[in-house]
Amino acid sequence: MIEFKQVSKKYPTGQLALYNINLTLEAGEMVFITGHSGAGKSTLLKLVAMLERPTKGEVLIGGRSLSKLGRSQIPNYRRRIGFIFQDPHLLYDRTVFDNIALPLRIAGMGQSETRRRVQAALDKVGLTGRENTFPLMLSAGEKQRVGIARAMVNKPTIILADEPTGNLDPELAQDIMFTFAQFNELGATVMIASHDHALVERMKKRTIVLQKVD
Amino acid sequence: MTTPTNKKVAPKRNTSTTANPFSAWWNQQASAIKFSMERLWFNPASTWITLAAIAIALSLPTSLHLLLKNMQTLTADKREVPTITLFLKQSVSEQQAKDRAELLSELPEIDNVRVVTREEALADFRKITGFAQTLETLDANPLPHVLILTPRLSLLGGEDMDVEDLSKKLKAYSEVDDLQIDVEWVQRLRGILRIAERIVLVVSILLGMTVLLVVGNTIRLDIENRKEEIRVTQLIGATNAYIRRPFIYNGIWLGLFGGVLSLVIVHVALLFLVEPVTQLAKLYGSTFTLSGIDVLMTLQILLASSVLGVIGSWLAVGRYLWQSDDAIK
Ligand SMILES: Nc1ncnc2c1ncn2[C@@H]1O[C@H](COP(=O)(O)OP(=O)(O)O)[C@@H](O)[C@H]1O
Ligand SMILES: [Mg+2]
Repeated sequence: MIEFKQVSKKYPTGQLALYNINLTLEAGEMVFITGHSGAGKSTLLKLVAMLERPTKGEVLIGGRSLSKLGRSQIPNYRRRIGFIFQDPHLLYDRTVFDNIALPLRIAGMGQSETRRRVQAALDKVGLTGRENTFPLMLSAGEKQRVGIARAMVNKPTIILADEPTGNLDPELAQDIMFTFAQFNELGATVMIASHDHALVERMKKRTIVLQKVD
Repeated sequence: MTTPTNKKVAPKRNTSTTANPFSAWWNQQASAIKFSMERLWFNPASTWITLAAIAIALSLPTSLHLLLKNMQTLTADKREVPTITLFLKQSVSEQQAKDRAELLSELPEIDNVRVVTREEALADFRKITGFAQTLETLDANPLPHVLILTPRLSLLGGEDMDVEDLSKKLKAYSEVDDLQIDVEWVQRLRGILRIAERIVLVVSILLGMTVLLVVGNTIRLDIENRKEEIRVTQLIGATNAYIRRPFIYNGIWLGLFGGVLSLVIVHVALLFLVEPVTQLAKLYGSTFTLSGIDVLMTLQILLASSVLGVIGSWLAVGRYLWQSDDAIK
């Protein structure tokens, strides 16, 4: 499903973030990416989401190289991915409902179906009843969960999460991890970057450790 | 919740989020329309300033155009029609005069010919006080038969008819003694109006560009304020078309409502003028009335202003997307 072939990423600043990565994920697999800060976890996820392009090697999704995707195909590809950012990137002038509905609106979904799916997503992340709240009135953890709901609402085939539990208390972090596991059970391929070793170990999933390039 | 342990093959997931492309398209349009309207509504101050600037820029060429149109109808007014008066020789009989009139009316340059016989002319003169007594002292009618020609107006301004040529031709007829042309002033006026038309065109183009810049700049500022939002939507798979859409509608509304406002301005200005113009026309014995903006012109103005709005916003968004293209990918 997701395949890295001798991938290296060097930022324009000269910083080498990833060096010669070879990695294969089966469809429906769930893996954790761990490693120290600066090891390249975020970069790895960004390459899958096409937020960055590799400087060497190639990333294949479903056997197709991402480098072969034209500019106009990128939006469509991104819609199949749910990306949970370290900073949730919410829109502060819109309600929780409108934030979560964004991917559905981009896809042109109708009102009633949108409402149904957003409610379901809110329910999944434990924010039922908060749909008319504005993000500024939410705690860091709640914001993070809105970000997760927004990433899930479109039922993506690939879920990428960059330190999704960084701002959450341990109990909530555990809950969120199980939510990802549930999505994985429904068939999504899940990649989670995390440096919470205890939590990762408890999940009993394949774990990939990145070493910082020197 | 339980930790999932079993590995499974990925089942077919429902990833298509829309039923059919048309309803998706429609839903996207509807939400862009709603969203762009809300943006205008929630920034009343900047919206009104922009609309006023657009309206003023549009009302100037519209008023100039109206002024011109009115001048043109004035010169085309049946009562004000230019004439050529042919004074026939004394020896010409009434029947000969009528025959000549009939022949002249066949000419392509001539719209119609009216015969004023010497008896009619005398009767007219009698009506004018002061002349009656003078005329009594004469034993014979000193007046000639007269033909009053109305040249075809459409030919007047064009190259195909030169007034000089026509007058030479008319003078050559044996019945004609003298002629008087009352057509030059119309020609001069038309010449001036042709220049005025050009001026209106240039002013329209300049002010149309002003509208373009005003809309473009308003949209550019709006984009500036919403950079973060655009970036986030791009990250979750928004196409350029999706990002562009609400801004384009925004441009349409600015153009359209600016056009409506300019129509209001011009209508008020016209109301202001109707009364004195009618008064003045009465003094000249004319039934001339100020013609305003008809339905067709209203639609043309609204269409033109909306199109300017679309182009202005398209340029602004296009420029932004083009610049950000490399930054995001
Ligand atoms: N946009 C960027 N420009 C330049 N250097 C970057 C950029 N993003 C990350 N880096 C560098 O690349 C390395 C890997 O970063 P990152 O992928 O964020 O690691 P992690 O997520 O594991 O902390 C770090 O040294 C970081 O400073
Ligand atoms: Mg990181």
